Amino acid sequence: MSVETTAPVTEAAVLNEIAGMLRVLLDEYGLDDVEITRDTKFHEDLELESIDLVSLSADLKERYGNEVNFAEFIAGFDLEEIIAMTVGQLVDHVVVSLRAAARG
Amino acid sequence: MTKILAGDLDTHVQRLPPTIPVDGEAPVVVFIHGLLTDSLASYYFTLGPAFAAAGVDVVMYDLRGHGKSDRPATGYHLERFVADLVALLDALEITRPVHLVGNSFGGSIAFGLAAAHPERVATVIAIEAEPPVQAWTVRMAEGLDLAKSQLTQDAVIDWIAVNNGKHTARLSRAAGRLLQVTSMLEDIPVSDTIADDLSAIRCPVLAIFGADSGLSRQVPYFESYLSSCRTVVLPDQGHSVLIERTDETRDAILGWVRDHALGRVG
Repeated sequence: MSVETTAPVTEAAVLNEIAGMLRVLLDEYGLDDVEITRDTKFHEDLELESIDLVSLSADLKERYGNEVNFAEFIAGFDLEEIIAMTVGQLVDHVVVSLRAAARG
Repeated sequence: MTKILAGDLDTHVQRLPPTIPVDGEAPVVVFIHGLLTDSLASYYFTLGPAFAAAGVDVVMYDLRGHGKSDRPATGYHLERFVADLVALLDALEITRPVHLVGNSFGGSIAFGLAAAHPERVATVIAIEAEPPVQAWTVRMAEGLDLAKSQLTQDAVIDWIAVNNGKHTARLSRAAGRLLQVTSMLEDIPVSDTIADDLSAIRCPVLAIFGADSGLSRQVPYFESYLSSCRTVVLPDQGHSVLIERTDETRDAILGWVRDHALGRVG
């Protein structure tokens, strides 16, 4: 599955979608009313473990297809850096990847 | 999330197919993580993507009780972990022999499967791991006892938070809980074992150790008893080989799989 490229890719839209994926993940832990912004940290604020980021990565792949390669994005990070990541960093990566794909 | 029913266990699996064309069938490499604080994330964020990019069919999964797989209260003998892996291969319809990469306890599972079902295993790649011999059960009993007494104390968890970071502290607390709510501590030390002469292991073995970890003392033992064995000892390195020496580990294993694969690996 790949994202529709007719609509411009906006940061706000991507943030909204990623926040939705995170809420589904957090719901498993009984947390359903967490505020998610660009500055939210995956580990510090959401208490997500590395295994949760595996789930998120799979969700991203399902939503955006191969145009967004989370595994490649984080290949240069070590585990501690990955869990210290903010939602905004991920949003930026998705936006940049989708815009590059839209340009062909 | 990808969950499949393997035997009676709802199992979290992440499979990465090869991302480059491969002549013939891609070699299948199954990655088995370690006990307590570990999950398939340790491979997903280290070796997994690189192997898929090199033409390998990558299978990563969470062991029973770990990550996002089921956590039954009982049934944590090594042979249960081995049976889970057989059930997983069956559920994924993988019938040809696979390469097993096992980290720490995951390596013991790999040796266990190679001994119990040699027809399912092409090679074993053991990272900082011991074969499940009698002496191993004694060391596991001691290690698990210590883990349970330590990781269930708030003061210890606080110390870990200061010295190893909050993520490790949280994983350690979860590990303490895992030992409290399951029979792992009771089951693992009474697991089925293999003979000390390692005659049950007939496939080629690549064993990777950190020089500073006590486990590297096994090198002469492996080399004299295993019929086909290559050992790699990384200098100035303790037990966390996979996380701290990812690149060297990746290169050693990819080279090994290339040497032992029927299909060409890029």
